[in-house]
Amino acid sequence: MSNKLVIIPAFNEAGCIVNTVNDIIENAPDFDYVIINDCSRDDTYKLCLENGFNVVSLPINSGIGAAVQTGYLYAKRYGYEYAIQVDGDGQHDAAFLGTMARYMEEHNTGMLIGSRYIEKQGFQSSGLRRFGIKYFTLLIKILTGKKITDPTSGMRMVGRDIIEYFAEEYPKDYPEPETAVTIVKRGWSVEEIPVVMKERQAGTSSISPKRSIYYMIKVSLACIIAAMSS
Amino acid sequence: MTLKIQIIIIVLAGLGILYIGNLVRVRRLELKYALIWFLVGVLVIIFAANKNWLQGLSNLLGIELPINMLFFVGFLFVLMIIFTQTIVISNLTRKSKRLTQEVAMLNKRIDDMIAAGTPDGAGSMLKEKAEEHETESVKNIEDDRKEA
Repeated sequence: MSNKLVIIPAFNEAGCIVNTVNDIIENAPDFDYVIINDCSRDDTYKLCLENGFNVVSLPINSGIGAAVQTGYLYAKRYGYEYAIQVDGDGQHDAAFLGTMARYMEEHNTGMLIGSRYIEKQGFQSSGLRRFGIKYFTLLIKILTGKKITDPTSGMRMVGRDIIEYFAEEYPKDYPEPETAVTIVKRGWSVEEIPVVMKERQAGTSSISPKRSIYYMIKVSLACIIAAMSS
Repeated sequence: MTLKIQIIIIVLAGLGILYIGNLVRVRRLELKYALIWFLVGVLVIIFAANKNWLQGLSNLLGIELPINMLFFVGFLFVLMIIFTQTIVISNLTRKSKRLTQEVAMLNKRIDDMIAAGTPDGAGSMLKEKAEEHETESVKNIEDDRKEA
C-alpha cells in the first residue's frame, strides 16, 4: 500500500476512463488510485468493474465537488499522506505525478499545483478561456498577495492536513480558484510546478460558453467570500 | 368589510389552521415549520374579527390605504419565508451530500470485504486494507460523532 493517492472523479467518462487509469497504473506505479464514479449514466462504472479498478460509486449524482470530496474522504479514512486529483478525461499526464510527489516531500508544501503556464508547453486552452484564467490569477493576487499562474488547473496535490480539511469542507462546483484562496488564507503553503497537459481525449468541458458567465461570477464571489471568511 | 366577508375569512382561516394541524398530526408536516403558518392563520382571524385594527395599524405606519399595508406586510412576510427555506435547502443539500458520500464509502467497504473473503476476487488490491480499515473506521465514525 502506498501513502499517495490519485483521486479520479468520473462522470460519463466511458470514452477514456480505462486509458486514464491504465496510464496512472503504468506511469505512476508508486501511487494508489481511487475512481469516484459520480453516478455516470454511461458504461463508466461497468468498465471499472470489468477491469477490476478500485472504484467508489456515488449512489446519487452529486456534482464534481462532492465527487472529489469523496476522494479526500477516502484518503482521510484510509490514511493517505498525499492526495492528488486527476481529471478522468485524460487531460493530465500521469508521468508528472511522481515529480509532483517528490517536490511535495522535499519542500513540505501544503498544496502543489501543476501549472500549464510556467513553461508554456503542451495544450494551452483556448483564447477566451486563457483570458479567464489570467483574470483569476489577478483576482487571487489581489485577494491573497500570492501569484498562482494556473488557478484553474485541476492537477493539484495536497498533504495530510489539507486532505483532512477538504474531507470536511469542499466547494460544490468549480472548486479550483476558490480552494486556492482558502488554502493560502488558512496559512498553508501553495506552490506551482510546470506540467504539460493534453487536449481532452473525449467528453466535454463542464464549462460551456453559456455557463462561463455563471462560472466567472460564481467563482469570483466564492474567492472573495473565501478570502473574507478565513 | 361586511359582516359576511368577515365570517367567510374567519371560517377559511379556521379551516386552514385545522388542515395544517391535521398535517402535523399525521406527521406530514414538521411542527417546527408549521408554527409560522399557525401564526399567519391566527393573525388573519384577529384582523378579520377587529376590522378597525387594520386601519389603526396603517395609520400607525403612515400608510393611507389598509390594503397597501396588507400588500406590503404580506410581501415582506413571503420574502422572509422563501429566504428561510433557501437556508433550509442549503442545509439539506449539505446533509444529503454527506449521506451520499458515506453510502458510497460503505458500499465500497462491503464490496472489498466480500472480495477479500473470496480468493482471487475482484478488487483484491485492497484486500489487506479492508481488514486494516475495519477497526480504524469504527474509531473514525466515533470521532465524527463526537465532533458533531
